[in-house]
Amino acid sequence: MGEAGLRVRRLLPWLGLAVLFAVPVIVQRLGMPSLLGLATRIVIMGLAASSLNLLLGYGGLVSFGHAAYFGLGAYAVGILNAQFVSGDPLLGVIPGTDELAVTLPVAMLVSGAFALVLGALCLRTVGVPFIMITLAFAQMLYFLFVSLKAYGGDDGLLIRRPNVLASLNLRDGATMYWIAASCLVAYLLVCGRAMRARFGRVIAGQRQSPRRMAALGIATYPYKLVLFGMAGMGAGLAGALMANFSRFVSPDMMHWTQSGDLLIMVVIGGAGRLWGPLLGAAVLIGLETLLSGWTQYWQIVLGPILVLVALSGPGMRRRIGWTA
Amino acid sequence: MDGVTAPLLALRGVTKRFGGLVATNDLSLDVFPGEVHALIGPNGAGKTTLIGQMTGELRPDSGQIRFDGVDVRRLSAPRRARLGIGRTFQITQLLREDSALANVAMAVQAGQGHSFRFWQEVRGDASLREAALMALDRVGLLARASVPVAALAHGERKQLELAVALAQAPRLLVLDEPMAGLGPVESQAMTGILAGLKGHVAMLLVEHDMDAVFALADRITVLVYGAAIASGPPAEIRRDPKVLAAYLSEEMG
Repeated sequence: MGEAGLRVRRLLPWLGLAVLFAVPVIVQRLGMPSLLGLATRIVIMGLAASSLNLLLGYGGLVSFGHAAYFGLGAYAVGILNAQFVSGDPLLGVIPGTDELAVTLPVAMLVSGAFALVLGALCLRTVGVPFIMITLAFAQMLYFLFVSLKAYGGDDGLLIRRPNVLASLNLRDGATMYWIAASCLVAYLLVCGRAMRARFGRVIAGQRQSPRRMAALGIATYPYKLVLFGMAGMGAGLAGALMANFSRFVSPDMMHWTQSGDLLIMVVIGGAGRLWGPLLGAAVLIGLETLLSGWTQYWQIVLGPILVLVALSGPGMRRRIGWTA
Repeated sequence: MDGVTAPLLALRGVTKRFGGLVATNDLSLDVFPGEVHALIGPNGAGKTTLIGQMTGELRPDSGQIRFDGVDVRRLSAPRRARLGIGRTFQITQLLREDSALANVAMAVQAGQGHSFRFWQEVRGDASLREAALMALDRVGLLARASVPVAALAHGERKQLELAVALAQAPRLLVLDEPMAGLGPVESQAMTGILAGLKGHVAMLLVEHDMDAVFALADRITVLVYGAAIASGPPAEIRRDPKVLAAYLSEEMG
C-alpha cells in the first residue's frame, strides 16, 4: 500500500466519527429534520447490537436472549422515573430519580448483573442448548414484565418527561442524538481496546479452539462470564437511552423478536467487526422504514433481502464456522 | 528402571471403559524427568484415549495418575497444563484466523498469569512477542511468524503445534503423533527438532513412524487393546516376540 493510501486509512476512522457526530447538522442542512429521529434509533440499536456482537462476533456465543438486557435497562429508567414522579421510594428504600447521570449507570449495573447471573447458568451449556436457554430466560423476563401490573404490565410504561442531565434538554432531537452517539463511541472504544488486550485474546482463542485453550492452561468460563457482563451492560445502556428517546417502555422491548432483530443487525454488519453492528442497524432500520412506507407487506420483501445479505456476507459464516 | 529419581508422570492400574469396550486396561507407565518414553501400538490400541487421561480431557474409571507426586486424576485439563503438562494434538488445534506468532504468543500469555487485562494491547507487548519468536525459532518457523495459520502448510502447522507447546515451558510434553501426515523430509526435520529437546524436557511420544520412535525413544511401551504388552529400551522391544507377533512384524516388514 502506498503512503497516500496508508494516510487515507489512518484518517478514515476520524472521518467516520466526524460524520457520525455531524448527522444532526447534516439533516438540518438537507432540510429533512425528521430523519434525525431515525438516526437516533439507529445509533441506539447499533449500540445494543454492538453489545451482542461481543458475544456473537468476538466470543462465538450465539445468545438469543439479548433483548432481555436491553429491556431491563429501559425498565430501570422507567421504574426510577415512575417512583420519582410518585415520590415513593422503590421497595420503600430506593428513591426514584430522573437524573440521567444516575439512571444510565443504574441501568448498566442492573443489566450487567442480570447478565452475569444468566451467563453463569447459560455458559454451562454449549451449542443449541445454549441458544435455547438464553432464549428461555429472556422470555421468562418478558412474561414477568407483562404481568407486572404496577408498571403498566402489557401496556408498558409512559415516561412523560425524559431524564435531565445538567442544563441539557433531552427533548431536543440533536441533544438526544449526541448523547446516544457519545455513549456508542465510548462503549465501542472501551470494548475495542478490551478485544485487542489479553482479555480479548482469550475470548478469540476460545471461539477458535476451546481444546487449545484448555491445553494452554486457561479455564475460559470466567472470561466468558465477564464478557457476558460487558455485553449486558452495553445492552442496558442502549435500553436506557431508548427509554429516554421514545419516552416509553414496554415488555415488547425484551420480546424474542427483538433479540432476533439484534442478531440480524450483527450478522448484516459482519460479526466480529467493531463498527459492523452500527452498519447492520442502519441497514435493517433503514430498510424497515423504507419498505413499510411502500407496502404494508414489507416483511415479505425484507425477508429475502436479509437472506441474500446473510448468505453473501462474510461475517456469520466466518465467525461461527459455517464455511462450505 | 531408574530406582533413584522419582518418575515425573506415573500411571498405576489406569482403566477406562466405554460401554463394553475396555479402552485402557489396567495400565501402569512411568515417564522420568528428561526421558523420551514412546508409546506405540496398532490403530485402536487406545493411545489417544490414554493421552486424554494424562492431559485431563478424559477421567479414568479407576487407577492413579500422579504428576510430580501430585494426584492429578481429578484435575481438569487447564489445571494439569498449569502444573506443567504440555501437549500437541494429532489433528492440529490452532487458532486458524491468527498468525503463527499470535498462536505462540497466546501460549506465552497463558503462562504469565491471568488474562483479565482489558486495556494494554497485546500487539505492542514485548514480553509476549520475544518469547513467542524464540519458540518459533526453536522449531524453524521464524520466517513464517506473520503468516496466518489458515495459510500454513500441514507440516508447518505440526511445527507450530510444537512451538505453542514449547512456549508453555512444560516439564512434560505429550506428543500425539507429531509426524502424522508429514513427508519423509519433514519427518526427519521434526525428529531433529525433538532430538534437540531431548534431555531438556520429558516427552511422552505417541507415534507410528518407527524410524522416529527408534531414533528418539529411551524407552518404549507397546499398547495392544488398551493394555501394555511390553515395556523397555528400544533394543529389547525390537526383539520381544510378543511385540513382533502383535505389531512390529507388519509395521517393520
